[in-house]
Amino acid sequence: MRDEAVQASRREFLGQVALGSAAALLGSGAVLHRSLAEAAKGAVTLADVGVGDPGGDWSRFSAPSDWDVKLVAIGNAPSAVLNVLMAGGGTQIYDIVNIVGGMQKPLVDSNLIVPIDTERLSNWSKDTYIRDYLAPGKPGFDFIGYQNKVYGVPTVLQGDSFAYLPDKTGPLDSYGAMFDPKWKGFVALEDNFTTTGQKTALYLQKAKLASIKDPANMTPAEIKTVTDFLIEKKKAGQFRVVWSSFEQAVNLLVSQEVYVMDAWEPMVFAAKKKGVNAVYAQPKEGYLLWAMAAYIVRNPKRSKEQEQATYQLLNFMLDGWYGAKISLLRGYMTNPAAIAYAKANAKDFSAAEAQEVVAINQNVEQKFRLGGTWQNRWPTHVETYESEWARFKAA
Amino acid sequence: MGAFQGSIAGALSSRARRLRRLGRRALLALPLLFVAGLLFVPLGQMFLWSVWERAGFWVRPGFTLAWYRTFVTGARLTVLERSLVVAAGVTVLGLLLAYPIAYFLARHVRREFSRAILLLFTVPFLVNYIIRTFSWVYLLSRTGPINRALVALGITDRAVDWLLFSDFAVCLGLLSSYMPFMIYPLWAALEGIEQPVIEASWLLGAPPPRTFFSVTLPLSMPGVFAAVTFGFVGSFGEGAVPIILGGVGYQLMGNTITSALDVLNYPLAAAMSSVVVMAMLLFLVAWYLAFDLRAVLGKIAHWRF
Amino acid sequence: MRVRRTSRAATWGYVGLALLFLYMPLLPPLGFSVTARPGDGLTLRWYRELGSNPLLVGGIENSLLVALVVGLVTPPLALLAAMAVRELGVPRLVVLVVLLPLFIPGVSLGLATAVFFRALDITPSVWTIAAVHALWALPFAFLVILAVMATFDPVYLEAAYVQGANRWRAFVDVELPMIRHGITGAGIFAVILSFNETVRTALVQGALNTVQTYIWATFLQVGLSPTLHALMSLLIVLTLALVSVLLIVTSRGAAR
Repeated sequence: MRDEAVQASRREFLGQVALGSAAALLGSGAVLHRSLAEAAKGAVTLADVGVGDPGGDWSRFSAPSDWDVKLVAIGNAPSAVLNVLMAGGGTQIYDIVNIVGGMQKPLVDSNLIVPIDTERLSNWSKDTYIRDYLAPGKPGFDFIGYQNKVYGVPTVLQGDSFAYLPDKTGPLDSYGAMFDPKWKGFVALEDNFTTTGQKTALYLQKAKLASIKDPANMTPAEIKTVTDFLIEKKKAGQFRVVWSSFEQAVNLLVSQEVYVMDAWEPMVFAAKKKGVNAVYAQPKEGYLLWAMAAYIVRNPKRSKEQEQATYQLLNFMLDGWYGAKISLLRGYMTNPAAIAYAKANAKDFSAAEAQEVVAINQNVEQKFRLGGTWQNRWPTHVETYESEWARFKAA
Repeated sequence: MGAFQGSIAGALSSRARRLRRLGRRALLALPLLFVAGLLFVPLGQMFLWSVWERAGFWVRPGFTLAWYRTFVTGARLTVLERSLVVAAGVTVLGLLLAYPIAYFLARHVRREFSRAILLLFTVPFLVNYIIRTFSWVYLLSRTGPINRALVALGITDRAVDWLLFSDFAVCLGLLSSYMPFMIYPLWAALEGIEQPVIEASWLLGAPPPRTFFSVTLPLSMPGVFAAVTFGFVGSFGEGAVPIILGGVGYQLMGNTITSALDVLNYPLAAAMSSVVVMAMLLFLVAWYLAFDLRAVLGKIAHWRF
Repeated sequence: MRVRRTSRAATWGYVGLALLFLYMPLLPPLGFSVTARPGDGLTLRWYRELGSNPLLVGGIENSLLVALVVGLVTPPLALLAAMAVRELGVPRLVVLVVLLPLFIPGVSLGLATAVFFRALDITPSVWTIAAVHALWALPFAFLVILAVMATFDPVYLEAAYVQGANRWRAFVDVELPMIRHGITGAGIFAVILSFNETVRTALVQGALNTVQTYIWATFLQVGLSPTLHALMSLLIVLTLALVSVLLIVTSRGAAR
């Protein structure tokens, strides 16, 4: 019996070794082919939350510049970004970090990013969106700048409101719909104390239900008022859930689990693709405007060539091909050159795709024209926002 | 035992023996050094940060209990309470559900077959937990297959709301995540109980239920310890299930710590983490006090090497 | 006997129900992986596109490599730890130390370890990821091996000593074969834990991604793509095939 046990154990062991070697060969083969491919001068490392990836194809950048792009996927929460930069060695590894803008204060005060010399970006002055919405003195400047210096390259622009299912609710035009008892139990909010707080504050202010001086930057007393209102609604059963990821939110719309949802527009596009009639509302309180910002990570040890390549990549992200690709993939507005490029390059973008890029740009530009408030991602009393939000969640 | 060991050992010189013993001890201490090396400094740092003060967005040495006070007096304390209750509940429920399966597979099914069944229990875990949790959202939603089946079969006349975004959904998600982890150690412990021991108990006049409670269950305690640890610690620290399956603002400790980090409040996050660690240590100490070493080590507990 | 048979059938039914409960969440991804637009019919498009996303492919390579390392390194470490509980004379302390990684909330552990690595100037790499995964998996593997070892009766060791074996031979020839399945189980646990580890990894991965951190980043900001569902379904199908092969091999071995 013991011999059999030994036999069996030896056979099992050999099996495991075989499996392990196969996996090791696979792994080493993969490493080998990767190192063979790296014949370029080097690689620019871009940490991105998911919006900046043009489908994995960086050849338009790599071919002319002879620099590869190393993309790293990071989480979009402030803690994920800041921790990975501060604690995770990101400052030595990442060259660009492409996240939702408005984060300059914590990033600059913690010495994590450097100002951008816009003279080195040939596409900067050509980008009329930057001139119209994000130039110094304009309210949007706070999304890419801090203390009068430019820190971020706005790769995407957008305006947020909320989504609804018109077949269930009819047309809606105010953030108040999210708090309307008619849709009790069929409303979802975003788990984000700045945006949700701001939308609620905008509604309360415009509907004269509370006196709030600046919904974008509330005082602790105002934050408490808004939170009390939200808690009252929560206790009444107004909300089905508070969503914390794109996937969760899009599922809520597609499965028609909720009728009114604090949402991002790509979720409406995704729902439409799945055959659900969803509409992105045009609220009378105005949209919440925002932009993605690509920041340069502070790394004193970065070589001059690497820095030059980094600026080249940033310039590429303000270019037509990249802008059109991102618009098609995500449904966001990127830069004006994208429209012209998509129309002129039939082998890269079909006529239908070019039309879609035009439509997306017109859609977002209209939002900016209709007006709105810029999101404030790091209000003065951000910690009160967070602790009050914790109170809302615990209620 | 001493005499035989002595005679073998006497064959080697006492110096060689000492070196051998030292070498063996060093080898056995390897995992401890691994854990200690990677963990003690970070853990100490975490405890320190919990009493330091903030300097801008980072920390500055000092001493203040303000963060603990903020945690204990604020709304976040309810999160700790909920984490304890949910973790305890899921553990007990999981144990009650897993034990019969482990018992049956260990004692009434052929060895190879039961190992295959156990493997089947672990296979679903190769699928990423986020994807698995979203599958539950799809299955439990108002328009999902379960609700549709309930309405079609006439069991309810409209979709059941509390299937999703509720305590029920979170417990379901946690159970499906940790129950299989609980089955395996229970099975391993139960499988090793030799049949003659059980039969001896029967021969001595104890009916099967009494045998189970006074013989089988105590002998399976090391497995129960493992299962309870996996279930409790896993549920307590779970981050994705609460926010995906839970109701409005449902969160467990992992979520609220991340939230504090979102505003770069490192000392508060450190204070909350320290409280969690201390709670877990208390749980372990309670186990130590309630059960003697046999509950962890089994028969070898009083063996002297 | 009739009672025995029905109660046996009932218990098998219960086991089957438990398996059904655990396998149910695998069905939606399978469904999503073969459909595109609703009403369009089945398609293998998402499986074809698996290789075209360099971020995902890189993540798969990293995850496999890390899982391999963790699966090979953690069981021996856990075995040593289990033996240390018996022999070092401070069993409660050893258990406490080895269980420590379990007690620390994931995000705090990731953050603190990352700061620690940086202080030592260790650049993030596959090895830092593997170290963190092994740290996380060690308590699980340890408890499993401990539970299995607890069933081992030291009288067998004594019999070996009587036969003249020294400590090492007694362990390898007598105890090891009996706890072998515990070590494999510990290895399987370690691989599974590595395949699901996200929060701690995110802070020590540097410029790399694992499949898990990639899924985490995309599900937060842009949603899961059906290629991920295809990947998971492929994984399940391959593993079930492997399990069936193993089942056939071992049952044939046992029959002999």
